[in-house]
Amino acid sequence: MLEIRNLHVTVEDREILQGIDLTIRPGETHAIMGPNGSGKSTLANVIAGREGYTVTAGEILFDGKDLLEMTPETRACEGLFLAFQYPVEIPGVANLYFLKAAVNAVRKYRNEPPVDAMDFWELVQERMKLVKMDESMLKRSVNEGFSGGEKKRNEVFQMAVLQPRFAVMDETDSGLDIDALKVVADGVNALRGPERGFLVITHYQRLLDYIVPDHVHVLFNGRIVRSGGKELAVELEEQGYALYNEEPGRARRAA
Amino acid sequence: MTAVAPLFADPYRQRFATFMADRREPEALTRLRRAAFARFEALGWPTRQQEAWRLTDLSALQALTLQPPAEALIEAGILPTLEDVPAHRLAFVNGRFMPGLSHECVLPDQASIASLREALTLHPERVMAHLDRVPGLEQQPFAALNTAFLDDGVFVHLPRGTALETPIHLILHATGGDMALHPRLLLVLEEGARATVVVEYRGAGRYLNAPVTELTLGAGAALDFHQIQEESPQAFHLGGIRVQQDRDSQLNLHLLAFGGQLARVDLDALLDGEGANCLLNGLTLVRDRQYSDAHVRVEHARPHGTSQQSFKNVLDGQARTVFDGMIHVRPHAQKTDARQSNRNLLLSKQAQANANPRLEILADDVKCGHGSTTGFLDPDAWFYLRSRGIPAGQARALLVHAFANDSLTPIRLTPLRERLAHLLAARLALDPAEGERTP
Repeated sequence: MLEIRNLHVTVEDREILQGIDLTIRPGETHAIMGPNGSGKSTLANVIAGREGYTVTAGEILFDGKDLLEMTPETRACEGLFLAFQYPVEIPGVANLYFLKAAVNAVRKYRNEPPVDAMDFWELVQERMKLVKMDESMLKRSVNEGFSGGEKKRNEVFQMAVLQPRFAVMDETDSGLDIDALKVVADGVNALRGPERGFLVITHYQRLLDYIVPDHVHVLFNGRIVRSGGKELAVELEEQGYALYNEEPGRARRAA
Repeated sequence: MTAVAPLFADPYRQRFATFMADRREPEALTRLRRAAFARFEALGWPTRQQEAWRLTDLSALQALTLQPPAEALIEAGILPTLEDVPAHRLAFVNGRFMPGLSHECVLPDQASIASLREALTLHPERVMAHLDRVPGLEQQPFAALNTAFLDDGVFVHLPRGTALETPIHLILHATGGDMALHPRLLLVLEEGARATVVVEYRGAGRYLNAPVTELTLGAGAALDFHQIQEESPQAFHLGGIRVQQDRDSQLNLHLLAFGGQLARVDLDALLDGEGANCLLNGLTLVRDRQYSDAHVRVEHARPHGTSQQSFKNVLDGQARTVFDGMIHVRPHAQKTDARQSNRNLLLSKQAQANANPRLEILADDVKCGHGSTTGFLDPDAWFYLRSRGIPAGQARALLVHAFANDSLTPIRLTPLRERLAHLLAARLALDPAEGERTP
């Protein structure tokens, strides 16, 4: 469902991604691991369409369509979701209102009528339980004054309501204690299914104890230097990324 | 003061002579007019060499040959209402009271709500006791011009202890034709009186509207005053508001500005009694080549006064705004608590917001603070909304609405607040030309 071919990306004339190839099929969960500065978040942002990144070569296909040609909102309407590493606080926009606007934007894209108020409320109630979110958070402004854990739960909650076909989780585990991590992982796992793909980006193996991936890739200096099964994550946890620093021919890059 | 600009004063002298001919009115009023006109001539037409007018370019107005007000008929249906809330409604067209478009409600004993012209006929002493008595705007030539040329307007007098439950709704409509309008709104709340007032300036075509409002709040009086400036896009609006508050009075003053090619309001508030409190809440939305200006001065003359100024501007296109805000605390006004905030949101790289927040504190035991920010929409917030499927234009409108909407929240008059929310939403239904805009 997601095919990345020979992706080269620069930020302010510095090449961050130096030829990424990655194919994710429906139902698969892939993990990308790598140290700081390896290009993990750049990959997530380029997939979601954030400005400030220049694709100098390569392509990303989403169900065969050219993803890089689409605006961020079109990508979302096509079924893509990015769980932000740093969810943004938006004072003055109520969480529930925002979510309904998002749901209706996607429905409009699909030529469907706006969501029925009762149906929407039922969906929201049900999905809130999934991430153990308190109802009061719906009335508050988007992420405003939320704790780190609440923000990440809100990301997974939005994902659960929007039900994308493919989701990128950008360091969703960062800043979470173990209980919050379990809640978030449970939320993600509940959404896993044969039609849905996930790309889980993380620095640490810890998250992958709870969201067990089908494939693990190691990103280093803008390249995928190794791919394997879930056991690769355990190996990395034991040996760290130091190993890759010594690989011949690869320049060391300060993050 | 700088020298008179004689080229301009002359046509005004002619106009004033014509205006005064065959005028029947209390002698005291005539004296007031002559003194005001002399002050206007002494002040002269503002020039951009004067600090207070440095950014206000009046050349387009100056190029007009202004006309005296003429009668005109308009459809009642185009005037705004407060929905199902009954109101003392006074409608004016080109400055002249229109009984047919107005609506009277039962008044409490001794209270007066009338057109200024009628009040001057019925009880001139009562009007003259209050007219032009609120200090302030001494350096503002258009305020002097208003006193010289005032012809009609509103006289509201609420005696001691009168709580007016029904809002007063004043609608001033102009029909263009380069007319110069000088409506005078005179509102006097005696000790303990309470009222809610909505003033709406609107119109079509090109004209100059130079109103002056005088608000007097006696001890413990409370006034919710709303001014909705929706002048036509070709109009000039040069308004003055003078406020005098006695002990423990409470003023909530909401200034919403949307219209005019050039709109400026000069506001002087004098907190002249212990524990007086005023809230000044401003929201301006401008676009294209609109210019909007607020010159605000809050004068703390007595101890324990509180004032909060919140002025927000949203600018699109090549619009420009000015916020010039002064908090002045006199030596004996201890325990003053004065706040001032000015926030400007730029939706276009060609827009320009000017801020000049100022403090002059001559007392030593006060709390005063001010701040001003100017910036574009947060690109991260914009991306966040879009990443959830919300189209770029809608995402921007949502963020602008979030910025502006908390200026509407303190408005307690529900139908007005809702109408303004709709107006805001309609103004923010931005056109899809994404290229020129930010972020």
